[in-house]
Amino acid sequence: MRRRTPQIRKVVGYIVLVGMLLIIIAPFYWMVATSLKGNLSIGNFPPSLYPHHPTFYHYARAFTTYGFGVYFRNSVIVSVIATVVVIVLAALASYAIARLPIRGKAPIMVFLLAISTFPQVAVISPLFLIMQGLGWLNSYQALIIPYVAFNLPFAIWVMRTYFAGIPKELDEAARVDGAGVLTTVFRVIMPLATPGIFTGGIFTFVACWTEFFFALVFNSSQNFRTIPVGIALFSGQFTIPYGTIFAGSTVAVLPIVLLVLLFQKWVVSGLTAGAVKG
Amino acid sequence: MRLSKLERRSAIAGYAMLSPAMLVIALVTLFPIGYSVWMSMNTISSTFTGFQFQFSGFKNYGIVFHSSLFWQTLWFTTMYAAVTVVVELVLGLLVALALNQPIRGRGLAIAVMLVPWTLITVISAQMWGYIYNGIYGVLNYVLMSIHIINTPFLWLGTPTSATISMMMADIWKTTPFVTMILLAGLQLIPSELYEAAKIDGSSAWNSFWRITFPLLRPSLGLAALFRILQAFGLFDLPFVLTNGGPGTSTMSIAMLAYQAIFNNGSFGPGTAVAVVTVALVILLALGSLKALRTQVGEIDT
Amino acid sequence: MKRTTTIALTALSAGVVLSAGLTPTFLTSTKQPAHVSAPAAARRASGVTTIVWAAGTISGNGLRQDMVNHFEKLHPTIHVKIVQEPSNTNTTRAQLVSEISGGATSPDVYMGDVIWPGQFGSLHLALPLSQHLSKSFFSRFAPGLVQGASYKGVVYGAPFFQDSGFLYYRKDLLAKAHLPVPRTWQQLMHDSLVLQHKHMVKYGFVWQGASYEGLTCDWMEYLTDAGGQVFNKAGKPVMNSPQAVKALTFMRSLITSGVTPKDVITMQEPQAMTAFNDGQAAFLRNWDYAWTNSQTKGQSKVIGKVGVVPLPTFAGHAGTGYATIGGWNLYVNPHSKHLAADLTFINWMTGVQGQTILATKASEIPTNAAVQRNPQIRKLNPVLSIVSKTHLIARPSQTPQYPAISLAIYSNINAALAGQVSVKQALQTANSQIAQAANKSGL
Repeated sequence: MRRRTPQIRKVVGYIVLVGMLLIIIAPFYWMVATSLKGNLSIGNFPPSLYPHHPTFYHYARAFTTYGFGVYFRNSVIVSVIATVVVIVLAALASYAIARLPIRGKAPIMVFLLAISTFPQVAVISPLFLIMQGLGWLNSYQALIIPYVAFNLPFAIWVMRTYFAGIPKELDEAARVDGAGVLTTVFRVIMPLATPGIFTGGIFTFVACWTEFFFALVFNSSQNFRTIPVGIALFSGQFTIPYGTIFAGSTVAVLPIVLLVLLFQKWVVSGLTAGAVKG
Repeated sequence: MRLSKLERRSAIAGYAMLSPAMLVIALVTLFPIGYSVWMSMNTISSTFTGFQFQFSGFKNYGIVFHSSLFWQTLWFTTMYAAVTVVVELVLGLLVALALNQPIRGRGLAIAVMLVPWTLITVISAQMWGYIYNGIYGVLNYVLMSIHIINTPFLWLGTPTSATISMMMADIWKTTPFVTMILLAGLQLIPSELYEAAKIDGSSAWNSFWRITFPLLRPSLGLAALFRILQAFGLFDLPFVLTNGGPGTSTMSIAMLAYQAIFNNGSFGPGTAVAVVTVALVILLALGSLKALRTQVGEIDT
Repeated sequence: MKRTTTIALTALSAGVVLSAGLTPTFLTSTKQPAHVSAPAAARRASGVTTIVWAAGTISGNGLRQDMVNHFEKLHPTIHVKIVQEPSNTNTTRAQLVSEISGGATSPDVYMGDVIWPGQFGSLHLALPLSQHLSKSFFSRFAPGLVQGASYKGVVYGAPFFQDSGFLYYRKDLLAKAHLPVPRTWQQLMHDSLVLQHKHMVKYGFVWQGASYEGLTCDWMEYLTDAGGQVFNKAGKPVMNSPQAVKALTFMRSLITSGVTPKDVITMQEPQAMTAFNDGQAAFLRNWDYAWTNSQTKGQSKVIGKVGVVPLPTFAGHAGTGYATIGGWNLYVNPHSKHLAADLTFINWMTGVQGQTILATKASEIPTNAAVQRNPQIRKLNPVLSIVSKTHLIARPSQTPQYPAISLAIYSNINAALAGQVSVKQALQTANSQIAQAANKSGL
């Protein structure tokens, strides 16, 4: 009796997992399948469950007619720069909080956590007016700077935990040897905290890659749209080109899926350490 | 307290290292919030020469509080946040418990689960819009083929069904995120505790309520707080999936502010809506400070 | 403040015109065509003025550049740079509202919806054109369009292309069943029932019943045809009239009789169009673009099987029904630094030449009455040939509160179509919400 309980639990576990994975994958399958269908079969009912005559027509259209390449480039530029800046600034701040004798650490951490979930709508109109005043509407910095600010708190939160876990003797030794604080951070601490840095980096990158509200308000002109805004505006006044939308979406999902699959362990361990252990 | 020279220098370095990050955060969040408060207390008119501010005290707040649309969007956003967060916590916990066992394919399952979280919400909204479509949507087809329904269901057609459809799309995308946080929490619970419970003859059900749940509470609290605050910023999903419709039944409070400011050009009342939202979020955060304290408590030790 | 700015702008534009040495005819009252003096000006002028035109895609990407090229050839001193507007009308509006209200000088000229004059006029987002252009300029447009582009007696937009509702039908099915093309709503219902009964088609009639602006458009057509109004002459909302009850009861009966699928309450243009193109519906209410759309290879299964007529009327009425005015205007940014060039550009775009290109290359409905009447143009496609037969009705958009008013209309009509509330209840609620909306601002 007692023996069988773990078995049952395992079976139930498998059922839950398989069910969940199916529910997660099915919509993705439908998206990719639709992107490969011709226009005539996209509006069919009953729908064909797989593309009978797969075509890359929509992919070609996304890049030629709809300028998806530009959106993709903009997303890469904005997300990569914002992520790098976040990592550097967060490394400095995290080290200060984790190691250096400054006051008010707890309030700072609470403040950071509060900021990281602040509704964007609270700052949108002043930021808009400021950007307008600076002539920054439709520019990369119009997105990079807010993205840095909104993602720093979480990155600091995660990286501080990692830094705190590194034996103090290491950086004390480095400093006794005469290394400055900056050298210590970048040469000694950061290499040891790679998982934490990756976690902070991936979270920032994903957040920038998917952000919509700021991008819509600040950068809605054709040349500065990021992928989310570009795809949201694919629809015409009277048309929704589902095939093209899903072709673009599939392309947009790929890099980030690869990134997450590659760094899967760090993402999970980062959450473990950063969000819960404290 | 006597600080050594090295310590004092370290402290200075510490503030110097902290300041760039804090400066950016303050410039992009704190200062604009203050400015928002100021804007919300002005009547802002657009003239041929630009904006004109005229101080008008709480007039904009009067407009906001007398607007039935404001109360409707506030109710919708609150209800939406409550329902999605509860469902996500329950489902997320279930899946996290399943994943917290030494079963095969666990790594792959975790990897796949991360994918919806990385999906651009706009894309997810377009995808669900196509799946929910009343004429050619695949969801109706699937449900009709397995005889759950006989005629196509109008997923986005009525206020109730549109709200539920939107919640389902949100739960689909966000449950994995909650699962991750909870799974991380579960892995920190020492297995010796369960061993001990087993020896005492405690059932799985009992050990869940005696050990797992209490020890997981900080993680649950954190996940809930994160999600509730996020839900108050709800914008992308209704913007693309329903555009707030039918009527205004799925309009979120952020959409209302956006519409007032950018579609109607009413900067004053629109900003007042935004400020009210911030006040609410702060109240919620303060209310959940207990959950936060458990997280922060160890920092200074 | 306002007045001095306007005067300053007028003076400025006059100065620019004089110094550039070109005197567009429409700024004065002479009858000489605008482009005559341009080549001379080109030789004299030291530089080229660049104006920015924000425009949405007009049936295919090349058309705008085509028109600009023609214009630039005739006006070498003016260079027009096209900036892409978002394809979503509300996003375009949000972008323009935020840019122009903040004082941006670009775009100089922008394409905007016909329902914007009330809001854009009251927020000072569009230049009052009638203060800068002579009356004779506006006489070129088809009747009703200029009034639609006005707010409080001031014209803010130059009608650029027109649009309105039409009835598209499957001529193959009607012929096969020996049915007449419906001239009344009742006939349409009868035709549909016969075709559906014979299993020749799944649905009878599809249209736009979702809770959005498009439903207000459809509603205006039934309401006006039944003799009802949204506001009476005194500006009081009167949408709970017996006429409105007649209109809404009929719309609801389309659904209860099975002629219209109940999914119509989620249908916008794309869904209705897809159902029709897929061969699932016998009749479709849609805009001008539906003709080309239904005849495009690779996206339609009904090529060569479609006819188009003006919308039907209620039985007992003579003539045709009403069609809601849609389409786009050209507006000028009040902060533009190149007013003279802007006006020259608008003059050409709405002139005979520009409008002819628009009609021939894009099969959009020209706003210029002379071009619209031209037999050559009318031969181009069936829609253009019946434009002059339609009775146009404008939405009650001559107020900055129009978005809220329209919301009150479509959300309640939609609820009645869904059967959630009774026809009478829906109209009563709509009417009181319209009254409320007309009285306040902002939210």
